[in-house]
Amino acid sequence: MSDAPVDATPPVHLDIACPFCGLLCDDLSLSPAATGLSITRNGCARARQRFALSPHAATTSLIDGQPAPIDTAIEKAAALLRHARQPLFLSGGADLASMRALLYLAEQCNAIVDHSNEGVMRNLRVVQDHGWITTTLTEVRNRADFILCVGTEISGQYPRFFERVAQAGGHFDDTRPAPKLLFLGAATAADLNARQIQVPPENLLESIAILRGLAAGKQPRQTPAELVELNTLIRQARYAVVAWSAAALPPDSAELIIQGLCDWIKTLNHQTRVAGLPLGGSNGDLTALQTTLWQTGLPLRTRLGRRGPEHDSERYAARRLLDEGRADAMLFVSEFDASAQPPLTTIPTIVLGATGLTAPPCKVFIPVGTPGIHRTGHLFRTDSVVAVPLQAVTPNRWSSTPDVLQRMGQQLTVAHP
Amino acid sequence: MIHLQGGTLHDPANGLNGVVRDLYVQDGRLVPFDPSARIEQHIDLNGHVVMAGAIDLHSHIGGGKVNIARALLPEDHRHNASGATAELRGGSGHATPSTFRTGYRYVEMGYTACFEPAMLPTNARQAHMEMGDTPIIDKGAYALLGNGDFLLRLLRDGAEQARINDYVAWTLHTTQALGIKVVNPGGIAAFKFNARSLNVDETAPHYGVTPRQVLRTLARAVHDLGVPHPLHVHASNLGVAGNVESTLATIDAGEGLPIHLTHIQFHSYGTEGDRKFSSAAARIAEAINTHPNVTCDVGQIMFGQTVTTSGDSMAQHRNSAHASPRKWVVMDIECDAGCGVVPFRYRDSNYVNALQWAIGLEIFLLVRDPWRTFLTTDHPNGAPFTSYPHLIRLLMDKAFRNEQLSRIHPDAAAHSNLASITREYTLDEIAIMTRAAPARILGLRDRGHLGTGAAADITVYRPQPDAEAMFACPAHVFKDGQLVARDGHIVSTPLGITHAVKPDFDRGIERLLRQYYDTHHALRFSNVAITRDEMIELGSRDVLVHPCGRQT
Repeated sequence: MSDAPVDATPPVHLDIACPFCGLLCDDLSLSPAATGLSITRNGCARARQRFALSPHAATTSLIDGQPAPIDTAIEKAAALLRHARQPLFLSGGADLASMRALLYLAEQCNAIVDHSNEGVMRNLRVVQDHGWITTTLTEVRNRADFILCVGTEISGQYPRFFERVAQAGGHFDDTRPAPKLLFLGAATAADLNARQIQVPPENLLESIAILRGLAAGKQPRQTPAELVELNTLIRQARYAVVAWSAAALPPDSAELIIQGLCDWIKTLNHQTRVAGLPLGGSNGDLTALQTTLWQTGLPLRTRLGRRGPEHDSERYAARRLLDEGRADAMLFVSEFDASAQPPLTTIPTIVLGATGLTAPPCKVFIPVGTPGIHRTGHLFRTDSVVAVPLQAVTPNRWSSTPDVLQRMGQQLTVAHP
Repeated sequence: MIHLQGGTLHDPANGLNGVVRDLYVQDGRLVPFDPSARIEQHIDLNGHVVMAGAIDLHSHIGGGKVNIARALLPEDHRHNASGATAELRGGSGHATPSTFRTGYRYVEMGYTACFEPAMLPTNARQAHMEMGDTPIIDKGAYALLGNGDFLLRLLRDGAEQARINDYVAWTLHTTQALGIKVVNPGGIAAFKFNARSLNVDETAPHYGVTPRQVLRTLARAVHDLGVPHPLHVHASNLGVAGNVESTLATIDAGEGLPIHLTHIQFHSYGTEGDRKFSSAAARIAEAINTHPNVTCDVGQIMFGQTVTTSGDSMAQHRNSAHASPRKWVVMDIECDAGCGVVPFRYRDSNYVNALQWAIGLEIFLLVRDPWRTFLTTDHPNGAPFTSYPHLIRLLMDKAFRNEQLSRIHPDAAAHSNLASITREYTLDEIAIMTRAAPARILGLRDRGHLGTGAAADITVYRPQPDAEAMFACPAHVFKDGQLVARDGHIVSTPLGITHAVKPDFDRGIERLLRQYYDTHHALRFSNVAITRDEMIELGSRDVLVHPCGRQT
């Protein structure tokens, strides 16, 4: 087996999950290094950088940019929330435990909950209107013989997608070559043996409409030969996968593109097997969606509280609430990405941020540990099925988000018995 | 000590059928009267009916497909929302309520335990997360096997039964499950190879095994391991006219081993009549009556809007043509399982739906032994669990039942022999099928009865002529001795426990599994198992491990 570490130093942590993208690769070996944590096996450039950064940043809580004891910062944050008429709770990265705490606090404050990744809601609205046929990473890895990547080269957002999923080798037929890869409307990663159909982003929707027509037996004149061939290839495949990343699609047509792909896939399944693979999950977006769904019955962009959950995917979008001045306080949580910045706003903002980099300008900043580094936790992978356990791999000197949020909640009720 | 005085007990596990007797509760348990103990609370139950807390052995309350249903149907939630209070969490939903709401609604109806019947091993963490956010009631789950690549390979390669047993036991351990369920044996895997149906004796693509082999092997494994709950079987050809033959073949495939046929209503269809869709309830009931190794739950349908959530991706893809509203989700999952979520609106004016309703009731009334028939709607597939009180009235009140029968599609009524069935369930029979029997068949020795030493999960009803009103709103519900609901209102929200089994097995199987996972899966073997500590992190209060036959 090729499982021997390449480094002579025995790693202290094996099979560690990396929380820094939606693939949640859990095959990393980590060793303590002079600075941060060093990856001794597997991982990607992003993982190496983020794990290396992790333990050595020293930040304290800040109020108006000035250092403050954490108790004071929590009291200040609670006071802001208590006086807010319509708080917005925005996750920029939170795991299961943090989402649970965030939703509980949101209920106490009648807050609206959203996540900063737009892609998660683009996919969700297609589910709400049409539904879809999808698959998961292990199916793709073992069963797919044809993979179509639409509008994204994937590896920028999901660096190990081809290594661990799309080109990892199939096992239903050991002699079978790796699945055929085809990119529609996206640049092909140079090292992949893949074909590419060039479509400018503004024409992607039209191409997909043509594919839907072809699958339904319609072939208008002047149909591009490449699309006819693609439709043939996908019908000939034993198990084809269509991958997209909602975040990478043109914003003004993303939902229509996803809907078109899902309809195309449904039609193809009258005769053969094809499944979609919506890529997402980074910064806990699917974890936020899943937790909100089961706890409230409704997805993100829901207002919680005494009146019961109310969902509006347009009016309760964080961006619109801020643009239209309908939120008057914001709580922003980013446990994984120390460089994540809350959206620019003039309303009082509380930031619970991963330790490591400079605090963003805000009313209250509280540094928090990262699940998967400083504490255990859970995140949902890109396929929304597998929840990956995250390990604590370095001694924790930081507050945990759930603890901080719980203490804020206690402050709310202490002041208002 | 709490003194519950003068209630009329229906406790069939202890042979008490309407006997007036006092109960004493201490530290969450039923205890004998102790003259030296201080009575802290005294509750007069004179004229009240007292039963153990009800147990639902088949209700989809946690895991991926339930949450997909929530995502798919915001309209189920928008108009069914309740706000947070100082004590209770908010929530929403009718067909697939949010988790807190699910716990509250069950308890308000006098249920104190509930079992998720379709936990995919690869999705087990999510199932436990959702159940961890479902307050008050006890929970447990059956792990799905019978369509995963690993098991089908073992069968293809002619593995010994002992090796299969090890894998089954390992699955129970690592997913923290109480039992094993098989859904459309081999069919979900076959669908991934583009098969659209698979009969009991048909050879599945790629693996060359039949559903009969899968079923027999798993039933044997569960039996050999001494797992109290028999193999929980969702048979082949769900919803298909004429599937009575598959269901009878499935009973035959059990070869006398204990098997539990779930939502059997959906598997009791014939092909007679002009519409080629008829009731086969009589044949099914006769088969159950004559096979003491077989138990069933009904999966009654009720008219109205709901959503069907199933691991049976093959059947759900077929059923997607009937989606109402017209949207649906099907997933292939991890070379392990699948799922399909299809909204349904059952209409009494629709011949097929009306006959489905009648078929369920026929089975309830024709299967003679209430210890082997369980009250379910396969929540939310036949109807939401909140329709149980109505269902109980249909079983207990013939006049009411016939009145309802007169409202359904007249041809369906004419094709059913429901009108001629005079049976009315007694209170004792209701107590058997909703308490004593589920506890017994799940191996929960200290639940489902009111004997000394039992957990003080107790439901107190006000007798009323309208059984629906009586069962919808118990006067008192106690969970582990704590008053949790009064007159249909939640008064406290303790956390329930997770029930599980951990049969002995040869750990040698883990070498094979490690190699398999690390070669083929997108999750490493070392991250598969859910430990007890992790269960608590996922939201469980604790895991209560029940003994397996061979270990006692």
